[in-house]
Order: sequence, then C-alpha cells, then structure tokens
Amino acid sequence: MPKRLDQARPFLTLGLVVAAWLIIPTVFKTFTRASFFELTAPVGVAASYARDLQEYWTLRLHSNSELIEAGRDLARLNASYDLAVQQNIEMQGEIARLEGILRLPSYTGYHSEHARVVRRDFSGWWQRLTIRKGKNYNLTVGAPVVFSGGVVGRVSEVFAYTATVDLISSQTVRLAAVVEGDTRPISYQGGLNPTFGSAGGVIEFVPLDIFASANSAKRLVTSGLGGVFPPGLTIGSVIKVEPSTDGLFKSGEVKLDDRLAALTEVTVLLPLETP
Amino acid sequence: MLRFVLILLSTVLLWAVTAQLNHALAPWRLYVFVGALAVTLPALTFTLRTGLFASFIGGLLYDAVAPVTFGTHAFLFALTHVVVFNLRERLPRDDTLSRVVIALFANLGLFLVFSFTQVARSPAPASLWPRLFADLACSQILLALIAPWCFAIQARALALTDYEAKRFA
Repeated sequence: MPKRLDQARPFLTLGLVVAAWLIIPTVFKTFTRASFFELTAPVGVAASYARDLQEYWTLRLHSNSELIEAGRDLARLNASYDLAVQQNIEMQGEIARLEGILRLPSYTGYHSEHARVVRRDFSGWWQRLTIRKGKNYNLTVGAPVVFSGGVVGRVSEVFAYTATVDLISSQTVRLAAVVEGDTRPISYQGGLNPTFGSAGGVIEFVPLDIFASANSAKRLVTSGLGGVFPPGLTIGSVIKVEPSTDGLFKSGEVKLDDRLAALTEVTVLLPLETP
Repeated sequence: MLRFVLILLSTVLLWAVTAQLNHALAPWRLYVFVGALAVTLPALTFTLRTGLFASFIGGLLYDAVAPVTFGTHAFLFALTHVVVFNLRERLPRDDTLSRVVIALFANLGLFLVFSFTQVARSPAPASLWPRLFADLACSQILLALIAPWCFAIQARALALTDYEAKRFA
C-alpha cells in the first residue's frame, strides 16, 4: 500500500465507522443509549446509598440531648404545619366553591413523589440531576421537580429506577414566568453558571414598566402557562433588567437559589389523573 | 475481545470516579472532564480496529449519561483516537510522562471541540467561556494527577490478557 494511503487509512476507517453509525436505525440507537445508561446507573445509585449510610452513621454520633432538642424543634414545626394544612384545606374548599359558582376550569392537581439525588452533573454545558426513582414510581418525562425553595427543574428522561432532571439553571430549560404581583408572562431561560458564583438565568420580553436591581430584587415565579408547572412557584430573584435592543421590551438576569447546587432530595409533582 | 472489555471496564471506572468527583464539586460550580484518558492508551498501543472500537464504545458510554445527540462523544473520541494513532509513530510513547503529555493535549482538543458544539445553545455564550476555561484548567490539573494511575490500571488490566504485558506493565 502506498505510504500516503497508509497514513489516510485511520481516517478512512473513521469515515466508514461514522457512515455506518449514521445509517443505523434510530430504534437501535435509542435501545443502545438506554442500555448504556442502565449499565452505569448502579454505580451512581450504589454511591448514593453509601452516602446515605455515611450520613446515618454521622447522625448516630449525636448525643441524646441533641436528639431531644431536635425532636422538640420538630414538634413545634409540625404544629405550625398542621395549622397551615388546615388553612390550606379551607382555602381549597373556597377555591372549589368559587370555581363552581363562576364555572371556571379547575387547576390540575398533583401528587408528590419525593426522591433522593443520586448524582449532580453541573457543567458549563448542562446542569442535571439524577434521582433515585424512575419508571418504578411512574415518573413521567416533563414532570415538574420542586424543593422547599421553589422550582428545581423538570424530568427530562425516565429510566427503570432512575430519572434525570434538567435544572432551571441549565440552558436547555426555558419556561414562562411572571414577576410576582404581575400577570404578564415573560420568558425565562437558564444558562448563567459562573464558577464559585450563584447560578442564574436570563429573562426576555419583560414589560417596560418593570424595574429591578440587585438592591431591590423582584421575585420571579412560574406563570402556570403551558400546564407543566403550577403557578406561583419561586424560580429566583430578578436582579437586573435593562431595555433590549428592539426597545419594545426589557431583558434581564435572574439569580437562582444557592441551595440548588447542594440538593440531596427533591419532590417530583405528578399530575393526578382526572376521573 | 478481552482487551476491549478490559479497556471498557477501565473507562467505566474512570467515568464513575469523575462522576463522584463532579457530584462533590457541584456546590462550587466546578466540573472536570478527563475523557481523553479513555482514548490515549488504546490509541498508543492497540491495533487500529480494536482501539477505535474501544474508543467509540467508550464515547457511547459518555453519551448515554449526557444530554447530547447520541454519538457526539463517540465521534469525538474516535476522531481523537485516529489523530493520536496517526501521530504515534512520531511520538515518544513508552514512558508515562510522554503519555500524560499526549493525554493533556488530547483532552484539551476534546474539551474545546465539545464546548464549541454546546456553546451555541447558551442564551449568553460570551458569559459561558470563563466558566468553561475554569473547568478546563481543573480538568487538565486533575488529568495530570490521575493519568499515571489510570494508565497503570489499564496496563495492569491488559497484562491479564498477556498482551505485550512486559511492555506496558
């Protein structure tokens, strides 16, 4: 074989591999992808169980008096939550009564599925979590994921016993939001993730009469449009708005909750099936 | 076939270690990528077909856990493999230091090319680059630190198959 052709042989082989890959049916690729994911899933799940065990043994080191104090604090919290639950039931009854009178369509109901975080995958390219529940708990693609501070993201893929969640700080997540106290929808997209800093996102199509700055930040919440996220969930704080180039709207920046980067447990909201 | 399986297992181990490290680094918004370690030794020591297959399948493993088109990492790993394979006769490749240097350059290329494929999706691409450069710096430092360990594991695993054991072990 001539020397020149011999040097090109690796590239010709690569070309053949790529050509073969391109003509492989999508079904086969999807199956292969799921197989490879399931192959690696036990690694992450085992590590997360090991972390849970480590945390358990760390907690076992607490003294009895510390546990008694924690129990007392928890009892107080439970009492206040009990009161909030009662108020919530009363308000839901009121909403149902008003919906009946005004003949309004009712809000989608959700049930919560709590899940432990297996793996955090926060690169500059994407921001994802893997959680320890999947098809075995009937999770669905697109389901909203929340925590005590607001929105975490949405389920992007569901596997046998794990699922992946795209975080709201990820550039792949875009959703309709409103500034608290306003009803006009604006577009939110994640994607600002500086090293050692807080994660953030950008907002577009902000009405011109909305003002915010780092000193007077405004709360950004879900709008409920699109039907994925229930309305009123916290996304983050609008810390900057400035007129966009077209002059018709403003665009700005949103600072997200710092706790998003250290989540160990999240809640997946699954729509209740209508009878 | 056994050599291929052993290299694939070492890639799984490498992925698992970096995944756990990235999990721990997440609160600081740091990320490390050392995919070139899955490519370098096969490219420097294997025959073209076996090495290319190992790199390609290793890339598919990375693709399965990433939100990218299935085959992106596989193609980039295979391309890196071919480039290193083509240059290997002109490179010193028997000592660990040379292999580490080759892995550093391969990782640099992989990271930058992969970044260019992903950066277009960002709403603010300019603000993404400082983060990517910080991640790249961390990745290169980590790679330089763990590459000898990784090569040793791969070489010891290959020694099990008696594949030029004396040379690599």
